Amino acid sequence: MSTESTNERTSKPNAEAKAMQSDVPEQYRKNATPERGKAIIELSGVTKTFFRGKEPLTVLDGLSLSIEEGGFEALMGPSGSGKSTLLNLIAGLDRPTSGKAIIAGNDIGAMSDGELAKFRARHIGFIFQSYNLMPVLTARENVELPLLLTKLSSTERRKRAETALRVTGLENRMDHYPRQLSGGQEQRVAIARAIVHDPTILVCDEPTGDLDRKSADDILELLTKLNVDFKKTILMVTHDPAAADRATITRHLNKGRLE
Amino acid sequence: MVPIKYNVRNLVVRKSTTAAAAFGLALVVFVFACALMLANGIERTLGRAASPDVVVVMRKGSDTEMTSTVEDKQVSLVLAQAAQIGAAKKPVGVGEVLAVVLLDKVGVDGVSNVTVRGVTEDVFAFRPSAKIIEGRAANPGSDEVVIGSGLKGRFKGMNIGESFELKKNRPMKVVGIFDDDGSAFESEVWADVHVVRQAFGRSGSVSSVRVRLDSPSKFDAFKTLVEGDRQLGLIAMREADYVEKQSQATGIMLKILGGMVAFFFGVGAMIGATITMNAQVAGRSREIGTLRALGFSKGSILFSFLIESLVLSLTGGVVGAVAAIGMKAVKLTMLNMGTFTEIVFGFEPTPTIIISAVGLSAFMGLLGGFLPAVRAARVSPVEAMRG
Ligand SMILES: Nc1ncnc2c1ncn2[C@@H]1O[C@H](COP(=O)(O)OP(=O)(O)OP(=O)(O)O)[C@@H](O)[C@H]1O
Ligand SMILES: [Mg+2]
Repeated sequence: MSTESTNERTSKPNAEAKAMQSDVPEQYRKNATPERGKAIIELSGVTKTFFRGKEPLTVLDGLSLSIEEGGFEALMGPSGSGKSTLLNLIAGLDRPTSGKAIIAGNDIGAMSDGELAKFRARHIGFIFQSYNLMPVLTARENVELPLLLTKLSSTERRKRAETALRVTGLENRMDHYPRQLSGGQEQRVAIARAIVHDPTILVCDEPTGDLDRKSADDILELLTKLNVDFKKTILMVTHDPAAADRATITRHLNKGRLE
Repeated sequence: MVPIKYNVRNLVVRKSTTAAAAFGLALVVFVFACALMLANGIERTLGRAASPDVVVVMRKGSDTEMTSTVEDKQVSLVLAQAAQIGAAKKPVGVGEVLAVVLLDKVGVDGVSNVTVRGVTEDVFAFRPSAKIIEGRAANPGSDEVVIGSGLKGRFKGMNIGESFELKKNRPMKVVGIFDDDGSAFESEVWADVHVVRQAFGRSGSVSSVRVRLDSPSKFDAFKTLVEGDRQLGLIAMREADYVEKQSQATGIMLKILGGMVAFFFGVGAMIGATITMNAQVAGRSREIGTLRALGFSKGSILFSFLIESLVLSLTGGVVGAVAAIGMKAVKLTMLNMGTFTEIVFGFEPTPTIIISAVGLSAFMGLLGGFLPAVRAARVSPVEAMRG
């Protein structure tokens, strides 16, 4: 995959985003100059074994992987190859059975449930295939959720949620409920929620899986913008070759091993 | 913390299941509050008949005036003892006889016991709170009676100008109706003491003596004096204590009954709340997983679902309590367990009753919602990733 072509494609939104950056608060510029070459995700010899009854199922098999800060990486592979399982470990939703997973300096395998929750709140922005918005909350309220775990005042939370929604192009939809939005718009709300607390890594599991081509391209455009202009580290699982094209690196997972 | 609007809106969104579960809880609170209000109504109704400075003197071993006999000689002795301790001016006291008549109810089939109190002509002077509100007082020594306002129109013959039979072929004529601040006396017929004694073959004795001391603090001295004379075989009780004893049985029975009904309904309603909340946790596991993924702790999920259950139950509780307060308008008659006569009373709410009823709903909500909340807290954040 070529970095150049990706950046070329975003040159137009780039200018637009630059203009916007002036009114984007410092929160999205914090990682403006990530240390090139510094690994933010480091897996070594990671295995994950599930048990179905007494039957062990090794989904990840001694997997090692290093991802640089500021990268935009895609993860592909056949269904059942363990992509989501791998993503869960990196996002601190689950722990490896053996091996080490160091994410943003945290040893995932060594942390308690409570510590993992704090880790996720601090470092991870989630983008799910089926958006996972709270149906009873408005776009703005959904986006504010991660900020409820911070010490920010309610006016500050509101301001940041609105900024995040503006970044994802939903300034006119802030008070809409998820059911009043299209799939693409719902995913934009979810992306706003994923970036509002300025996480270290954006973790996306088939973010365009439920969308039509046009909406999918818009979402990919947005992710590219977040990576290029806002320097977000992005790890994206996808089945869609067009989506993988946006990434700087695409890795292939097969039967629990990287190819 | 997960915002409370998340829970409230989830309750609003599923209107019908929320309403069904809340209705069950409302019912429990309603029954519970009504039982307490009723017990309170009875206690208050009977309690209103009590003055702090009045003492009831009865035969030792009698629990009620109904079963007590005090001879005429003893009556004058007791009155003299009261005067010696210090009694209010005139009259120092009254000796009264109690009887029961069976009267036909109006409007419904059936008969009921009504208390007839044989009173002296001093009765209204002795009980200043009692007042004729319709008609006039009865002529002493005659077959005329006055009736309490609680009886009016509820039994055959209970109205001015009408008559009823004290005994077979012994008609009594109603000439007046009295009020007594809603006390149990309002459920009595007051007839001439001599007429009642004669009709029931009780000449030479009364049921009880009531005296009014010039200060409630003199009760102990009076009691010592009356009960000190073993030959008399009498006991003295404050009227308030006497009345409380009369209402105790009924009140306790009501409270136990209400408590039992509320308990069984309560278990049902709580199971209802548990089922509703469990269904929610199951149906919202991806939402819960997402909240966990975003970084909300197990504790905050537990708390959030407890809050949801609490809001649900308090909604029911408030509805039930408001409905119960509405019962204030309803008047009931009930058999007084102490005397086996009918008394008229209502549901009387107090802040304590309402607060404990609503508190009961909160308790049920928290208890019923606990297991589902624990289940919610245990939902794995991995659920967020499942499609
Ligand atoms: N909690 C679990 N318990 C048991 N088996 C599991 C569990 N989670 C995942 N698996 C199994 O692990 C394997 C990999 O699952 P995973 O979800 O990671 O695949 P995937 O690559 O994301 O597939 P897809 O492209 O269909 O999403 C599958 O065989 C799955 O059934
Ligand atoms: Mg998957």
